[in-house]
Amino acid sequence: MEGELVQQQQERLNQAVQQQLNLEQVKMRAISLFKAISRILEDFDAYARTNTTPKWQDILGQYSMVNLELFNIVDDIKKVSKPFLVYPKNVNADNATILPVMLSTKLLPEMETEDTSKRDQLLQGMQNLPIATQIDKLKARLDMIAGACEGAEKVLADTRKAYCFGTRQGPAIAPALDKGQAAKIQEQENLLRAAVNVGEGLRIPGDQRHITASLPMHLADVFTVNEGAQSFPEGSSNNAYMKNTPLSSNSMGGQNSLLQTSGSQLLGRSAASPNVATSATFDNTAASPIPYANSPRSSTNMMNTPSPQQQTSQQQQQQPTVQQQQRQKMMQLPQQQQQLLAQQQQFRQSAMQGLGQLHGQHQMQFSQQIGHQQFQGRQLTSGHVQHGIGQSQLNQGNQMTRISQFSGAANNALFSAAQTTPNTQMIPNISAGISSQSLLPRMQFGLSGNNPQRNHASQMLNDQMFSMGGGNPGGMMSIQQQQQQQQSSQGAFGGMASNAQNLQSGMMTLQNTQQNHPNFSQQRQQNQQ
Amino acid sequence: MECVVQGIIETQHVEALEILLQGLCGVQRERLRIHEICLKNGPNLGLVASEVRLLCDLEQTEPSWTVRHIGGAMRGAGAEQISVLVRTMVESKVSKNVLRMFYTLGYKLDHELLRVGFSFQFNRGAQITVTVSSVNKMLKLHATDEAVPVTPGIQMVEVTAPASAENYTEVAAAVSSFCEYLAPLLHLSKPGVSTGVVPTAAAAAASLMSDGGGTTL
Repeated sequence: MEGELVQQQQERLNQAVQQQLNLEQVKMRAISLFKAISRILEDFDAYARTNTTPKWQDILGQYSMVNLELFNIVDDIKKVSKPFLVYPKNVNADNATILPVMLSTKLLPEMETEDTSKRDQLLQGMQNLPIATQIDKLKARLDMIAGACEGAEKVLADTRKAYCFGTRQGPAIAPALDKGQAAKIQEQENLLRAAVNVGEGLRIPGDQRHITASLPMHLADVFTVNEGAQSFPEGSSNNAYMKNTPLSSNSMGGQNSLLQTSGSQLLGRSAASPNVATSATFDNTAASPIPYANSPRSSTNMMNTPSPQQQTSQQQQQQPTVQQQQRQKMMQLPQQQQQLLAQQQQFRQSAMQGLGQLHGQHQMQFSQQIGHQQFQGRQLTSGHVQHGIGQSQLNQGNQMTRISQFSGAANNALFSAAQTTPNTQMIPNISAGISSQSLLPRMQFGLSGNNPQRNHASQMLNDQMFSMGGGNPGGMMSIQQQQQQQQSSQGAFGGMASNAQNLQSGMMTLQNTQQNHPNFSQQRQQNQQ
Repeated sequence: MECVVQGIIETQHVEALEILLQGLCGVQRERLRIHEICLKNGPNLGLVASEVRLLCDLEQTEPSWTVRHIGGAMRGAGAEQISVLVRTMVESKVSKNVLRMFYTLGYKLDHELLRVGFSFQFNRGAQITVTVSSVNKMLKLHATDEAVPVTPGIQMVEVTAPASAENYTEVAAAVSSFCEYLAPLLHLSKPGVSTGVVPTAAAAAASLMSDGGGTTL
């Protein structure tokens, strides 16, 4: 009896609620949660004891497990918590004061104000509308927010897939650009980087560096009419600089371009008139009344003066005109200054530029290379060959003559010309006929009038220093000086209109230091004409 | 001194890069149109070749000129370990007759180029400037209106930050950590080291450009 009473007294939960509660399951979950948490605590103890660093991935995994289980439990209980209410059984001194607060459903004052302000914010503008519309509007807002959140989640998921963040595996094989495309891009990249860092591909060749009529605004007042573009010719990026003696006096004022072209005066030009002759002949530009630079009468060893035909044709072109004027100005400088200027010319390693061929006339210069280099059969690019003929006297000693290049036919012609030239004569002009071409390049060697040293073609073609006669006791002009001259003359001629002629020869001649020689005066005279 | 890295990006992804930079830097972009004139000194000016760059900012109503000299880069084992290039750089604002002055001194025009693009300047461990621009060349001297891109499909990205001898390591670290954020779109490297394009660039650009399917509030 008593047992039954006891049983009946024991309240039985409503069967339905009991089922809903599913007490067994909740008990299981609670137990597993308890176990997980205790496991984590143990792990932390172990870490603390052994002083190892925990592996965050493992710990995060465990945390996520705990989180999941807690969530499930709470979820379960929430479903059925409605029929239950809290009935404090054990009221004592400790919890007497706090119990009412915990049991109350009214919000704390601060929470209450916060709540009302948020509500006001939310319902702003909708206070006056009927409740139904308010509800609708709020619903619409909720939908929009939900849509935005979904979109964001989608993007996140997509990106996660693309970079394989979610998976523990490495990234999938990245889509490889096909080889051709990759090569093209690589090429473009190199172009771009070179352009930005070094300036490759951005240099305008000297002959195109005119100032166009319409300068942009920010440069309009920078340039005056006379200055023009002061520029290096192409390929100047690798210039080596020499020790320069400062000009003692500079009559050129601010005209820097003249400094660069000054060397050209010292080097002179060779002027070859076109000649249909197929064999090498010594063709004096007899039409010119000007005494030859290398005639026995003259003591200069500079090149022939250009023939009048050449001169006039040169005048027709703007840039050469300017340069000629400059040259003439230069010639008016005292010799010493010329010397100094010559010494200050740059040494350049760049390829030679094509000299303008003015109506079929050539100007050739022998350009020099650094150092004691042997003759090499190096080919220059067609159409851009500049020949400079330096001072005609050849030096002896440890300086090498350099023949940079000869084209095939020209070589033969030149060699033959050289061979036939008697060593003792003054050779005013040595023209090498290139039969294959309509316009014949000419090379002129300036020879000194009274020196046994000859600018013999064959000698020049050798790659050894040929010993000259003893008439040159003075030291030799340094390679650098000569090279400077060559370089500067290149600069002067760089402005000439380029010509499509396929001249490919160049020689380096070394000059002696007889610059105080009346050579220069001779040259000056000639150039002034 | 400055720390500098360079990279390339295909022109089609530039807009995406702009969005990314906007998000990372938090500042507005500034348009860029700079005429850069590079001068080299003539033979009579000294022992060594020197080059000077004049930058004319054409974006302002009144063009402003800056002169910049870029010196040699830091070398050595330490420099190789740093992923940015540290080099000396001197910069100054100048008046508009600077070009005349340099010509009078004996400098000659070596090359010129026109940069058109945008830049972001912000502070993130160091004062960092990111410049994205297309590099244009002028076929005729000084004809900035007729400039054509050197490489139409590729633009240049430069990240620079001024530094001093004392703090260049921190600045270099700041720059390289910032560059990691740009990794999905482009790789940055020391000037002169080529990188190629990044294979994920297209996907990254697409995701940056998409609006995620959500509607605006």
